[in-house]
Amino acid sequence: MADVTSAPDAATLERPDTEQGVLLEVPWVTLVWDDPVNLMSYVSFVFIDYFHYSKSKAQRLMMQVHHEGKAVVSSGSREEMERDVQAMHSYGLWATLQKGDA
Amino acid sequence: MSHFKSRRRGAVYAELPAHAAGLLGNLARQLIELLSEGEPHQRIGDDPLEALLDFGAPRDRPEDPALQRLLPDAHRDDEEAAAEFRRFTEGTLRQSKIHDATVVVVCLDEVTDGEVDDVELELDAVQARCWMRCLTDLRLALAARLYIRAGEEDSWENLPDDDERLPLFEIYGWLGYLLESLIDAVRR
Repeated sequence: MADVTSAPDAATLERPDTEQGVLLEVPWVTLVWDDPVNLMSYVSFVFIDYFHYSKSKAQRLMMQVHHEGKAVVSSGSREEMERDVQAMHSYGLWATLQKGDA
Repeated sequence: MSHFKSRRRGAVYAELPAHAAGLLGNLARQLIELLSEGEPHQRIGDDPLEALLDFGAPRDRPEDPALQRLLPDAHRDDEEAAAEFRRFTEGTLRQSKIHDATVVVVCLDEVTDGEVDDVELELDAVQARCWMRCLTDLRLALAARLYIRAGEEDSWENLPDDDERLPLFEIYGWLGYLLESLIDAVRR
């Protein structure tokens, strides 16, 4: 899909900051699971209110939770995902975190 | 009519029949009790050593199905990680839920005192969010008590008039209606 338009100069490549190397770091994700209690309107509202997602993105994620049983709603470091999961629990949504993209 | 209407600056307004306001206040108080009583972690003093050892912090998931749903595991396939997460966060989560329910109780107490007709309720944007979370927690706790499961919606909608679960299910439905109207009003 992508093509190389000019030869890169290897001498100017910068070394990434992380010691472990970027390819080895698998991000964590927050998953929200479907439950028979929470209102669809409420689930989208939470995605807008907490994550500041657009109305259409929030709606899409909510429908994914509804139809597929779950959706990845955010990704990042483990600490960030722990924060998101705890926030989801405070809103009454059923959320878990895990390594990788589920 | 018990539904919310929008006011300026994210505030919302509702008129509730006094008996409905009384019922809601009662449920919110029960929720506070549920979240406080089941708490295994009652730290008595501010002993720094005790805080460091933290023997009282919860590691096991609660036994009550309502509390299990209100305070779910954060890791699905890793019990050790779930227990560790619970140990560090469950107390805070319980406190935030108790706070939301307390906001509901205080708002209702301010308007229901001796009132027999409709009570007028005005919530600012922050209070409205506490109400949404509390109404959700109440629905989750009621659903656990009623054993509401996915895919059984039809049987619930067609409960016979003499079914002993009907009064509780009607409260559950009413809380959903109230929450939906609150979300609508806040979004406007």
